[in-house]
Amino acid sequence: MSGRNPVITGRGIITAAGCGIAQVWEAIRGEHVGLGRLSLFSSPRFAAHAVGEVRADVAGLAGGLRGSRSDQLGWVAAREALIDAGLSTPIQGVRAERVGVVMGATVGGMLGTEAVLAGWLKGRRKRWAPLRHHECSGTAEVCATLSGALGPCLTLSTACSAGAMAIVTGAELIENGDVDLVMVGAADSLSRLTLNGFGSLLLLDPDGCRPFDHRRAGISLGEGAAVLILEAAETAWARGARILAKLEGWSASCDAHHATAPHPEGLGAARALRGAVDGIHGAEPIDFISAHGTGTRDNDAMEARALHRVLGETLPPVASVKRFFGHTLAASGAIKAVLCVQSLIRQATPGNPGFQVADPELNLEPARSFEPRAITRVLSNSFGFGGNNVALVFSKAGPPTDPGKMTSGVSTKPRRQPMAILALGVISPVGHGMDAVWGALGGGGASSTEIEVPLLSPPMRVPALACGEIDAGCFPDPTRRRRWSRIQQMILAATYQVATPEFRRSWTPERTSLSVGTGLGALNDTMAFVENLIANDERAPRPTFFTNSVHNSLASQVAIELGIMGPNVTTVQREVSFEAALGHGIRRLARCGNDVALVGAADELSPHALAVGARWGWWDKATSAPRARNGLGLRPPWGGRMPAGEGAVMVALASPSPGAARLASVEGLRLGRMPWKSGERLDAEAEARWVEEALESAEIAPGDVDLWLTGANGWDPMDSAYASVHEAWTRRVGRSTPKGRYKQGCGEFHTASGFGFMVATGLVAGRVDPACCVAGDAWESGRPCRTVVLHTMSSWGCKGVTCLRT
Amino acid sequence: MDNLIHEIKTKIIAGFSLEKVTPQDIQTDAPLFGAGLGLDSIDALELVSILERDYGIVIQERGVADKAFASVRALAQFIVANRQPCPGGTQS
Repeated sequence: MSGRNPVITGRGIITAAGCGIAQVWEAIRGEHVGLGRLSLFSSPRFAAHAVGEVRADVAGLAGGLRGSRSDQLGWVAAREALIDAGLSTPIQGVRAERVGVVMGATVGGMLGTEAVLAGWLKGRRKRWAPLRHHECSGTAEVCATLSGALGPCLTLSTACSAGAMAIVTGAELIENGDVDLVMVGAADSLSRLTLNGFGSLLLLDPDGCRPFDHRRAGISLGEGAAVLILEAAETAWARGARILAKLEGWSASCDAHHATAPHPEGLGAARALRGAVDGIHGAEPIDFISAHGTGTRDNDAMEARALHRVLGETLPPVASVKRFFGHTLAASGAIKAVLCVQSLIRQATPGNPGFQVADPELNLEPARSFEPRAITRVLSNSFGFGGNNVALVFSKAGPPTDPGKMTSGVSTKPRRQPMAILALGVISPVGHGMDAVWGALGGGGASSTEIEVPLLSPPMRVPALACGEIDAGCFPDPTRRRRWSRIQQMILAATYQVATPEFRRSWTPERTSLSVGTGLGALNDTMAFVENLIANDERAPRPTFFTNSVHNSLASQVAIELGIMGPNVTTVQREVSFEAALGHGIRRLARCGNDVALVGAADELSPHALAVGARWGWWDKATSAPRARNGLGLRPPWGGRMPAGEGAVMVALASPSPGAARLASVEGLRLGRMPWKSGERLDAEAEARWVEEALESAEIAPGDVDLWLTGANGWDPMDSAYASVHEAWTRRVGRSTPKGRYKQGCGEFHTASGFGFMVATGLVAGRVDPACCVAGDAWESGRPCRTVVLHTMSSWGCKGVTCLRT
Repeated sequence: MDNLIHEIKTKIIAGFSLEKVTPQDIQTDAPLFGAGLGLDSIDALELVSILERDYGIVIQERGVADKAFASVRALAQFIVANRQPCPGGTQS
């Protein structure tokens, strides 16, 4: 492993078994199981089930933080971790731009959204406010805002492995030199969606989970959060931080087998385990295994097989802690990580409550009770829907080492990692397929359709840019799409444009990674599942809608259809969700020398999102209504603010190789956060400096930039913000560069910047006339367009800048 | 019983979005899952949902579903033996 080594300097945790590491550890030591009856909301169907509900006053503990219950759980854990690491809030002593946040989440604010939907459907007064905290990305944003972190702020939604995947991502950001310190973890609250969803899959054990037991019958659903402070060893040493443990090995893989069930032989899990164990220096053994051990028939059987496959017939002690506080979904991997660190500090390991009778098929008898144990190295497994597997190896902190001996002069600056764009697929309102879309851009924009939004009173029709029907001919076997959500069809159609049979022959499945950004996932199926629950009092929940409702159902289905077995990641970060996925693809290629990284993004139109947008004044009621002149001096063809849109893109990236054909090159990508919300004053000078640094890292001189492409959407606060950063940059570099926009082709949605990336690729590849992106006559015809900067800002403070070159 | 068998087949085709499949294509005594129609475990769970919605039969364990879903005929017999009056469901 090259690069800087991540160490752990802080830990925070909140579960049904206690709040704070002291309480949780005490429960584990005393074997007090925290499962009990549900009181957070009423569930006609599962009222008698044992669940892991956090009984403490979560909102109170979070200091009245405005956010979802998941956000509050996450912040409680993050604050404890910061204090544990000797850091103040906001963080001082570490440069804010060198501090990142990576959180896992699956539920987000679903609990609040369910209450809103129930009000609507039962004809009660319409409440809207909880929907502000619907999105999974909220927890990471809350942690970044309150800690003052201005580095990359990322949310991963890879179902039940998300917490562990957040740790992997944080470690790679450190290794890569992108950050010096990163808060990593995950939070998930209980919700009707997940309780009934797992119920509809017949995966709930009413008596509480019994991991590895012969009679095991499913999981107990839980909630909670955990956060670790990861730091580069040398910067932690330099600030005098106490090092609790080291993160020594990590690896991720994808089964590419089934939407919810693991590969029965645990082949995917075994690849992740092997990757993590092989990453360790030397041949020291694993002393303890913190199993994923959910208590389902399939998971425990598969996990036992995978462990035997990699570590041999005789295993070190294994235990699953799931019965202490239930399966906390995304938070599970982070909670286990905190407990692994605690085990290394205390030199003791947890028991496996719920286990009584061995299962002869497993050939695995877990540790029965809490025991003091001399341990140096522990392995923690996490597996999730879609066959997402992650394995982490934590090791005991040694005596303090002189930083001079730790690394061999590795730079603390982000590395330059140019990547070749080999192919592009796209489904958009102006056309399907790269050539069609590039050709249509000159036409000025997409024409809008009107979508009926029944949730508004009175119901109204809202203009939107829709992608139209997805042609069944896009798919090699159209019958396979019978259960796919619309958004899955969109991303798969874009993928098949890229993944021609010939191109696929050049990949090895294990050496191909996939990352997909999405703001809201399969929102239509998610809402259909929840509305069905509410309308029928939880009778007959629909499993297909549930399996589609997880944000990673897009990436999972692509992996299954194409057999992509490398790490599979879903990134959720509002307007920079696509950039977050792009960052993952670039890191995979740079770190592992993979064959290909597929990077995609998708969001779909939904009446629910349109209703919320209409209520909050996001869309102009009439498409022709003129609005005040916006800051960019641009006006979409129809005037006023962009309507809602949708779309999907898929990009194939590879390490550059001389002579190989490519469309263009991604020269650099930088992600970060700004202390800004739309409506506030933006420090344009600071933002311009930030972009300038990104260009410097990519080794692009300011004078080389031919076009500055923004996510301007015709809404004054956003467009003014874009314009002010562009103007400040122009002043700084003393050179005027035309600015342009792309949302006239796709409308406004979370992952519209994926469409922007495709437009930028067309621009530098000479396939799109820059005049169609630039207002008026600001583009001199015949001028070359070789380097494009793609600037994306989220109204919630996340930002990204991508540099593309011919 | 024959009516019920036909009804089940129709529900399977609609509920599983089986394009170009007719009730005649589904054999009454053949295994429903893991062969022929290409149905999988999630389809089986959808069928659990359909049984609850239309016949008031609540299945909580996978083992029960596996036995009940051996074939369309087995499923019809299971429904006759277990059906509950169900306000929103069809009665045949």
